[in-house]
Amino acid sequence: MLDTARTGDRKSLARRPAGAGKVPRRGPAASARERAVVVATTEFPEIEAAKPAPMSALQHRHLLGILGLSEAEITLILDTARAFAEVSLRPIKKVPTLRGKTVVNFFMEPSTRTRSSFEVAEKRLSADTLNFSPSASSVVKGESLLDTARNLEAMAPDMIVIRHQSSGAPHFLARHCKSNIINAGDGSHEHPTQALLDAFTIREKKGRLKGLRVAIIGDLMHSRVLRSNLFLLRTMGAELIVCGPPTLVPPEIDKIGTRVTYRIDEAVEGADVIMMLRIQRERQKGGAFPSAREYYNLFGLTTERVRRAKRDVIIMHPGPMNRGVEIDSAVADGPFSVILEQVTNGVAVRMAVLYLLAGGTIGELAG
Amino acid sequence: MASLLVRGGRVVDPATGTDAVMDLLVTDGRIADRRPVAPGQKRLVAPGGARVVDATGRIVCPGFVDMHVHLREPGQEHKETIATGTAAAAAGGFTSIACMPNTDPWNDGLSVTEYVMSEARRSGVVNVFPIGAVSKAGRGEELAEIGDMVRGGAVAVSDDGRPVANASLMRRVLEYTRLFGIPVIDHCENPDLSAGGVMHEGYVSTMLGLKGLPSAAEEIAVGADLALAALAGGRLHIAHMSTRGSLERVRRAKQEGLAVTCEVTPHHLVLCDTAVMESDYDPNTKMKPPLRPEADRLALIEGLRDGTVDAIASDHAPHHTDEKLQEFDAAPFGIVGLETTVPLVMDRLVRTGIIDLKRMVDLLAVGPARILGLKKGTLAVGADADITILDPQAEAQVDVARFRSKSRNSPFHGWALRGWPVMTIVGGRVVHELQTQAGH
Repeated sequence: MLDTARTGDRKSLARRPAGAGKVPRRGPAASARERAVVVATTEFPEIEAAKPAPMSALQHRHLLGILGLSEAEITLILDTARAFAEVSLRPIKKVPTLRGKTVVNFFMEPSTRTRSSFEVAEKRLSADTLNFSPSASSVVKGESLLDTARNLEAMAPDMIVIRHQSSGAPHFLARHCKSNIINAGDGSHEHPTQALLDAFTIREKKGRLKGLRVAIIGDLMHSRVLRSNLFLLRTMGAELIVCGPPTLVPPEIDKIGTRVTYRIDEAVEGADVIMMLRIQRERQKGGAFPSAREYYNLFGLTTERVRRAKRDVIIMHPGPMNRGVEIDSAVADGPFSVILEQVTNGVAVRMAVLYLLAGGTIGELAG
Repeated sequence: MASLLVRGGRVVDPATGTDAVMDLLVTDGRIADRRPVAPGQKRLVAPGGARVVDATGRIVCPGFVDMHVHLREPGQEHKETIATGTAAAAAGGFTSIACMPNTDPWNDGLSVTEYVMSEARRSGVVNVFPIGAVSKAGRGEELAEIGDMVRGGAVAVSDDGRPVANASLMRRVLEYTRLFGIPVIDHCENPDLSAGGVMHEGYVSTMLGLKGLPSAAEEIAVGADLALAALAGGRLHIAHMSTRGSLERVRRAKQEGLAVTCEVTPHHLVLCDTAVMESDYDPNTKMKPPLRPEADRLALIEGLRDGTVDAIASDHAPHHTDEKLQEFDAAPFGIVGLETTVPLVMDRLVRTGIIDLKRMVDLLAVGPARILGLKKGTLAVGADADITILDPQAEAQVDVARFRSKSRNSPFHGWALRGWPVMTIVGGRVVHELQTQAGH
């Protein structure tokens, strides 16, 4: 779900090439209605306009979610990430692009991977970074999210990267803050940079996203990785199938544009990509499944099950993994696994997002 | 007491089968006389010193009754008080309101009932009818002292906000209240199924990654209550019904002759669960029961038309801005409604032809008065002079900054609506008057 476009920023609008104006310029008052229209049309990808012209700059102030991003915008981010991936291979892994910009990493939920990935990305772009998390902050003293946000804003940061346990918290921040907001995972809603790095990884391996058969397996109900991936892969024309115990399949998920199955063998059959989702042990207490053992027997990804997929299948996992529950070690560490490449690519993708939201264009980067 | 002459308005009074242009004379707090305006017929003359209100082009209704209001006093005066809540009621066209017992402390005995009554007399501008608790402190364990509360002025009992989930207690209270002839009002929600939910469970909750409150949580409780009412007798009233399934269950029970009534809120009649997505998680779209999909909204509207629904009630639930300005799942449930109910009904239901004025008065005055056993809801000669006057042409935008309520938690801010209450008269006294166009 996207925010209002960069209204009032003439410079960035001027940069937009003619014909690339697929995303309408929205005022805050009209945004809700227009967003509803976006939602309605993305349910039927086939009625989307013909292939959009390439874009050079992002038309949004925030990255709150994948929903609402066009195919052209996703392609722009992935292409920009490609350029940044090269930076990480240099002996001196730093470019001056965000020099003088301050980025706050506001993490209300524990996170190792995403947070360090953002931090590395920010540092490689020469931004000044500030880490802010609840154990070391006033949040434990009962400060509201609004007050915390206002206090962060008072230090005049340029961007806030937020991870929060409540779905919609980044949208709340976007309503009340002047900074660019990047959603680093909100509740069970979205995790847009994860989906972008997943797409980047798939594209690197397969050369495309369109027409690929992607199976996503695990706790569908509570997964923000799932939602962002569904929105992204649907927009990019992949063929989707999701799988999990019926107790962890959210209602009417088929309306998002995916097939649903409860049988993992059916899900992995002929798959180009298998994406495993983490299963949280707490869900067992919630009654979603009887035991980790039974979960593994019914939904665990084993070498045997992988054989049903295409011969060049890639296996993905957003981490952290529960080895022996949703995935066998032999699969996680096996020849088809790209799990560590996902982590590597995460840095380049986050550099691209930070760069584009700061107003960068892919043209400048190439020059 | 002084007299008041309401001249030339269209009087819609279903209780006397009236829908005609009339003059209405109020004396000593009662309707003293009324006479249709007809060619060749003499008009009513105001006695000396009487105020004359020109109601030409206006609709004159028996004072509206909101049977589901949270006044928050005692205990949560930062959200609302009896003074501000009744002022909001007057501004919204309500002459009588019934207030829920989930205050702090709960209204579960004579002392709190008497406090509410005396504070309403002291600072209230409309009639206040307390609803007592079903159980002590609303804990759902032992019966509260209902007899005492009825003696003090309570007109119904409810553990509102908390469903009466214990079937045995629900049976007992339906039986026990037969002694007083008052209704038992239940907030129908199965707590096991609804635990942790923050919006309707369905496509939109899936898209937004929010935990759902399934329709079944409400319908199970409605079904259980209907079965218990059949067993125990008594008068069951179902609060804020929100699903097609609930409505169908009540419709069937009514056909079978059960003494059951129900209400719906204006927000469930005009908003759907998609509002949560369209507003980007605005906590002012969060309430219980949650906003439901369009199919449920249409079923509720059908229930208005076919008579299954007995009342429209606001479920006015004030919350301080600090409480609502939070993450969606952290914010409390509920929205204010006293000052938006009537214009929403006028604009979205009457103007669109979904219901006519007579049915509107049924739902906003006659129905709730009958359910609560109040001698209200009519403009017959001799009745209390509680009068709501509407201007069907008045257009305005909802502006939460101008609410009389202490709270601002409304999803309708900025809505342009046509058809507003312009004068509210309680016991012959003008308690609210909106200055609009010239000509008066």
